[in-house]
Amino acid sequence: MATLNLQHIDKIYDNNVQAVFDFNLDVKDGELIVLVGPSGCGKSTTLRMVAGLEDISGGKLLLDGKDITAAPAKDRDMAMVFQSYALYGHMTIYENMAFSLTLRKENPNVIHKKVLAAAEILGLTSQLNKKPAQLSGGQRQRVAMGRSIVRNPKVFLFDEPLSNLDAKLRGATRREILLLHKRLQATMLYVTHDQTEALTLADRIVCMSMGHVQQVGTPLELYDSPANVFVASFIGLPPMNFYDVRVNSGKLVGEGFQVDLTAEEQHTLRAYNGREIILGVRPENIVEGSDVPVTVNSNENLGMNTLVHGHIGASRAPNTKISAKLKGWRDYKVGDTASFTFKRKHFFDKETTNAIKGGEG
Amino acid sequence: MTAEERTIQRDRMRFIKNSLASNLAILGILLNVFYFVSIYKSDVGSWYYSILIGASIVYNLVFMLAVFLSSEGVKNYKKQYSYLLAVMGALQIVRIFIIPTQAHTAAAVINGEAVTVMQDGQFFRVVVYLVLSAVCLIASAAVNLVRCRELAEHLKTLDAQGV
Repeated sequence: MATLNLQHIDKIYDNNVQAVFDFNLDVKDGELIVLVGPSGCGKSTTLRMVAGLEDISGGKLLLDGKDITAAPAKDRDMAMVFQSYALYGHMTIYENMAFSLTLRKENPNVIHKKVLAAAEILGLTSQLNKKPAQLSGGQRQRVAMGRSIVRNPKVFLFDEPLSNLDAKLRGATRREILLLHKRLQATMLYVTHDQTEALTLADRIVCMSMGHVQQVGTPLELYDSPANVFVASFIGLPPMNFYDVRVNSGKLVGEGFQVDLTAEEQHTLRAYNGREIILGVRPENIVEGSDVPVTVNSNENLGMNTLVHGHIGASRAPNTKISAKLKGWRDYKVGDTASFTFKRKHFFDKETTNAIKGGEG
Repeated sequence: MTAEERTIQRDRMRFIKNSLASNLAILGILLNVFYFVSIYKSDVGSWYYSILIGASIVYNLVFMLAVFLSSEGVKNYKKQYSYLLAVMGALQIVRIFIIPTQAHTAAAVINGEAVTVMQDGQFFRVVVYLVLSAVCLIASAAVNLVRCRELAEHLKTLDAQGV
């Protein structure tokens, strides 16, 4: 397997639209990196540049320390799995999986061994004589992965491979990809817009927006210590609640509520006393309490949890919306008044939208 | 070839079509097409206007259909199509002694002049087409029979191993 280094990578299209800005990433041997972000953020473009399907406008791409920035796709020893599977409909599964090796004129007996081994890993042995049309979406995606495995590439690239699958199949195939990664110990780059996929699969996540890397870190780091408002709002479901608040001698004063700060939080915000910041609170960090009065708009029971949506106070302004994920079964009615407490808070600078860390100020 | 390579080669037959046998059968059809085009384009008065040529046309249609279906059959290692191909191959040899031989020895009167219906050159050409066509069909049948037997033995071994 291999290490991959992306150094100051830019992508500028012919019409001068820049899709990727100064992308830097060091992928370790055997690491599974997930590129996540909304549509149009440049994650697929980055992956295609790594694969050699798009030219790199600026920067360097190193594979095992060797500069492959200008190398054609066929010489990069990478295998890509596409969202649309890209299988040949007239060929059997065996022929599809053997195809790339047949093109390379490898010994048929060697091809046979590799195909059978890959089919065994992916549980496709009994499907080898079928055509792609006879398989389910999940099985087809496994065939696409099998076609990559037989090549034994240095790096596996996945471009939203689960997007065509229904929710149940997506979960099952996701677990298969995770098992595959553990089994092969391969270096993998995986693109998705689905944060659940990112959080469950990744060793590290690269969160992107508008062509810029917003944060690189482990799933827990992105969830627990988001670098800015974008990452905080993108990671987590339901998304984090945000409020404009003023730091006022040990308290945060927002529209229709005020909450006390702990000593540690006061220390974090010591440079912001008297200034406005953005307060972020995850729905799962809200409990029933006495700090924040809420007018309930909807109550969604999910079994273990209840999602309560409403507005802070009596105001119906958009910036007073609140979503809380309460433990257990609740039965709030529309128009009920509830009272909540924020257990864990995130603070963001209002001008830069970056997270306010304890050491700042 | 080592025993292991031989086993892998046999195992490949579970997933790879018998394209050699299938292609030989298709080549047999192609050579037959050369044969009948050579015959039907002959312009020697009305010698060919007989029931024989009508039967020949019908036979060619049946031949092409049967061999094409057989080529698909042998592609999937179906043993019974080998027998059909072998019979069709043998019939190609028999056909040498029907139209080509008769035409080679017959004379037709054109513009008051007697001419040989099939000259030596055309005769040898059509004989070669028919012989080669027969060889292809019989070879296709033989290849398929051998491979079917090998595959059956291999599958029996796999069954015995519980694979």
